[in-house]
Amino acid sequence: MIYLDNAATTAMLEGAVGVYQKYACQSFYNPSANYREAIEIAKGLQDVKLRLKQKLGASVGDVVFTSGATESNNLAIMGSKRNGKWEYVFSVGEHPSVYNVAKELELQGFKVHFVGLSPTGEVDYEMLESVVNDRTRLVSVMHVSNETGAINDIQRIVGIIKDKTQNAMVHVDGVQAFCKIPVDLDALGVDFYTISAHKFHGPKGVGALYVKNPKALKNIVFGGGQEGGLRSGTENVAGIMALDYVVENINVDENYNKVMQLKRLAAEILAEDENVDVLDVGSPYIISVGFKGVNGETLMRALQDYGIIVGMGSACSAKKSGNRILESMGYSKDAVKTRIRLSFNEFLTEQEVCEAANQIIKVYREIWEKVK
Amino acid sequence: MKVILLRFGELYLKGDNRHLFESMLIRNIKSKLQGEQFKFEKTFGRYVISGYDDGREKAIVEKLKQVFGLYSLSCAVELPATIEAITAEVEKLQLGNKTFKVFVKRADKKFPLSSMDFAKQLGGVVLSKNHQAEVELYNPQVEIHIDIRLNGKAYMFYDTIKCQGGLPLGCAGRGLLLLSGGIDSPVAGYLVGKRGLEIEALHFHSYPYTSELARDKVLTLAKELVPYVGKIKLHMISFTKVQEMIHMNCSPEYMITIMRRIMMRIAERVCENNNLGAIVTGESLGQVASQTMQSMTVTGGVVKIKPIFRPCITMDKEEIMAVAQAIGTYETSILPYEDCCTVFLPKNPVIKPTIDRCEREEGKLNIEALVEECLAGEETIVVE
Repeated sequence: MIYLDNAATTAMLEGAVGVYQKYACQSFYNPSANYREAIEIAKGLQDVKLRLKQKLGASVGDVVFTSGATESNNLAIMGSKRNGKWEYVFSVGEHPSVYNVAKELELQGFKVHFVGLSPTGEVDYEMLESVVNDRTRLVSVMHVSNETGAINDIQRIVGIIKDKTQNAMVHVDGVQAFCKIPVDLDALGVDFYTISAHKFHGPKGVGALYVKNPKALKNIVFGGGQEGGLRSGTENVAGIMALDYVVENINVDENYNKVMQLKRLAAEILAEDENVDVLDVGSPYIISVGFKGVNGETLMRALQDYGIIVGMGSACSAKKSGNRILESMGYSKDAVKTRIRLSFNEFLTEQEVCEAANQIIKVYREIWEKVK
Repeated sequence: MKVILLRFGELYLKGDNRHLFESMLIRNIKSKLQGEQFKFEKTFGRYVISGYDDGREKAIVEKLKQVFGLYSLSCAVELPATIEAITAEVEKLQLGNKTFKVFVKRADKKFPLSSMDFAKQLGGVVLSKNHQAEVELYNPQVEIHIDIRLNGKAYMFYDTIKCQGGLPLGCAGRGLLLLSGGIDSPVAGYLVGKRGLEIEALHFHSYPYTSELARDKVLTLAKELVPYVGKIKLHMISFTKVQEMIHMNCSPEYMITIMRRIMMRIAERVCENNNLGAIVTGESLGQVASQTMQSMTVTGGVVKIKPIFRPCITMDKEEIMAVAQAIGTYETSILPYEDCCTVFLPKNPVIKPTIDRCEREEGKLNIEALVEECLAGEETIVVE
């Protein structure tokens, strides 16, 4: 099987499984307890936070462990909410775990601005500038699009916002960026940054939120007061330790170059067919590909019978309602239906990627012949 | 003793064949309650379920409510048919400050008091024990029914719970339901079941154009029908090749019409192979282009012998949806997986197709070979 849906999730590193097992079965103690073994675990978690901050390029602030990206995104947005006539700014390209929180804010009566996307999938920077004002409480824009791989210029976005107001905070969903492309939070200047372990070979059910100023955030769940009160609930120690193992063992730059080669190879093979539209806009890990006249879901199902797994973009966007992200970039509803997403990892070989790309073209043409 | 009284409706009309219908109904009741501890007794014009554990009463009632052919039921107390025994039971009632009315019915005309007199007397008993309760003849909060039967027993109950009605499942034979995954076809299956028709089901899928989830959805729908129509043999047939061939060879506006004619041919063959007496569809007149009178003429035209039952034919979409909600198939039906009818959907399907034109279009295909190929790939699953 050739798995090209790594933006959905990735296989865990075997070393990480070993670490997970150690902390699940041997060093399983509750870090909130006061005996020696538990105190050791609590210290271990603090060390992980320091290492994680270093990997994120953050010299100040704190890391809050969560159950994953959805919780981190909810915590950043809902936890920074304050009463009053505040406004919020989101891009229409956000993942549902941000977008639907934005919709909830709207329901709660806050003014929410949705900023459109450029044809290459980046945030429309001019539109963003036009909606930010003194009442803006939070701007939330993803680092790398899970649909298209487009990379937003976060530094530029922060610059635009800070030029207009000192009140606004910036949240960045870095799920498709961290451990895949270089991330330097000090340089980016963001207030909150979301990461999720299972997107980079860690376990599912664990993630984190980087928080520059913990005082600016309030908890959204109530309980035992773990994570500085910001995220009550016994820490997922085994998951966190496995995350730490992956982060410490991943070579972002080397992988970036390798995956870039793989992506280029796939894009070249696919683009040879004039009916295939390859959207190759930023991250080496993700491309969106359109196939004239053939439903992407049909192609996805036909490919699985040949052992090739491809994605359809975020889970709930491939349904009848269309895809707000691709539509915002200018694709028609019909064109959106023809698209699939290919997402790579560093363990794929050139041979596998070649084989998959050629097979995709072959299966596409077979279907196209029947349905055109 | 606590009992459940069962009443049946239309069986009364069945004259000399009544015993056949009754024996089917009794068989269905017993099979429905399989796994429960109970006793079944047939009395004059009623069935009585007894001997069950009190805690199971609600579950048993829910099961019985799904049996076609039962008209209504009541949870009752069985008593000896004597004034003393009934009065003693009525004395135990605690009505608080509610309004009430006592109804007495005597099948046993030898009972020493008339219905009216006994009802009045029992009303007095209730009032003497419940000082705040009041008699209310027209709109009482509590109805106390006393049913004195010929077998020396009387039954006291409050509510009459409406059941499915209809005829016992199986008394009308067996048919083949075309089950698409939409809202209408499960309703059609339920409605013919209610008229006594047992069903098998036929589903056409178009993998890879349709999802495997669409197939799971049809399995779920079949499962949701099982409480009403019993176990269902589900025939799954891949329709992909047929659709591709029609798409490649025939006029787009005739796509759906030709598709449905081939589906009907296959359905009749499945009926023949499985000894089924009718084809059942969820069609509703004029709902979509393929369900006009003219469309049904040409699609039904290929079925040589079997009757086609279309129980939803005169129902509005809202009416069909209401039944789907009542029987619990609606939420599954609206899951957003495409069924094979929505793949290759032409922009302008023909509303008034003609047989001549259909035959000309079909001349471009080897229909027999396609039908055989579909049947050869048939997969069957028993859903229970």
